[in-house]
Amino acid sequence: MKFLLPILALHIATVLADDVPATKKDADLPPCCRTALAAGKPTDRSLYQLESTWTSDVGRKVKLSVLRGRPQILAMFFSNCEYACPILVNEMKKLEAALPKDVLAKVDFLLVSFDTRRDTPEALAAYRRKEHLATERWTLLRGENDDVRELAALLGINYAADSRGQFAHSNLITVLNAEGEIAFQQAGLQQDPAPLIAAIGKITNSAQH
Amino acid sequence: MRRLPVIAASLAALCALAHGVEPGMAPVPGGGYRPLFRGEKDAKEIAVAPFLLDERPVTNGEFLTFVRANPKWRRSQVKRLFADERYLAHWGGDLDLGKADAAQPVTHVSWFAAKSFAAWRGKRLPTTAEWEFAAGSGFTNADGAQDAEFQKAIARWYATPSPDVLPAAGSGRANVFGIRDLHGLVWEWTSDFNSAIVTGDARGDTGLERSLFCGAGSLGAKDTANFPAFMRFGMRSSLKASYSVQNLGFRCAKDP
Repeated sequence: MKFLLPILALHIATVLADDVPATKKDADLPPCCRTALAAGKPTDRSLYQLESTWTSDVGRKVKLSVLRGRPQILAMFFSNCEYACPILVNEMKKLEAALPKDVLAKVDFLLVSFDTRRDTPEALAAYRRKEHLATERWTLLRGENDDVRELAALLGINYAADSRGQFAHSNLITVLNAEGEIAFQQAGLQQDPAPLIAAIGKITNSAQH
Repeated sequence: MRRLPVIAASLAALCALAHGVEPGMAPVPGGGYRPLFRGEKDAKEIAVAPFLLDERPVTNGEFLTFVRANPKWRRSQVKRLFADERYLAHWGGDLDLGKADAAQPVTHVSWFAAKSFAAWRGKRLPTTAEWEFAAGSGFTNADGAQDAEFQKAIARWYATPSPDVLPAAGSGRANVFGIRDLHGLVWEWTSDFNSAIVTGDARGDTGLERSLFCGAGSLGAKDTANFPAFMRFGMRSSLKASYSVQNLGFRCAKDP
């Protein structure tokens, strides 16, 4: 019993630090919040060089580099969007349904919000429920203004808030390879998904996991 | 009579001290900025809160001090994600200005590098609204549109190719706030350069293109004559954050 105590204490400390119930196993958490895969320094073109901190819809604070090791299919959006985002997210869901099982097992989906004010972790969690975004595959993140601006700049996404709290923004789906480098981008809505699916197939073939 | 400018300058310096203004920065009073493009239901003006702006663009000499202190921003060490191959291409080496003059505005700097410089100085980049608001002021009239001489000077610059040798930063005529070279020297990065929403761009259409580009209804009548502002808008919308190009520099801003 004596030797169990420190282990228990350590376990509790970890749980407290992470803000996630102890009963949750990796598989029950979004990709951002599982045990990070071992990795060295990010490459020169990797988005995972960013030091910014983001909060997921399960409340955990993470750096983007936690996603390293698995390709990510990424879009920026906001949950109150009245026009393009539902279509954008819908296209990602269609993509999820269209990918072959073996490919789907190797990729994650990532949504990052423009709306730093309204898209709280709770709002993102509600969005996940509403859109039925599978926990094992989808990460939803919010960040601070400067960090959102920086990520958008890296992805080549332009956006501006209007007076009604809506954001005008580029519609772009980005595929990041396992190293966090931009491997492919699809611009615009209602595009032929074939090139995107081909690009995802290609990088999952070369990925180690 | 000769003494008047000296006295005026001393008074200005005293005022600056009294307001806690940083040397080399000028206070810009708040006001309204009229964006070139806006939705039909959007307000005509964006409120700009009072801020401080560098009186001139950041120079090669100042940027050299920055890269000395921050090795990761040296030419040979910068990561490609944050600056393209042209980063500081006009310098002789990592810590060698080469043919570049220390007093010239620094160019060939990416948005990330500019942002990092500003943060290192305890400052930030100005927003597009702040920059445009300051740049809209004339030599003698806070409303540049009412300043004929200022309008002529701007038109001359935007119609002239850049000189091979850039003049020193700060050599242009000061506007009413005491800020120089917002026009006439180099283009400048803004913190939200990527807020320009354009359509017909290979990078993809935008969410609210209908309301943003619904024709004359989305443009203030006054703005249609502001050709240089259109040029700046087009320039910004063509940039990517890692671009390190000739004729594109920056200056810093700060909250008072």
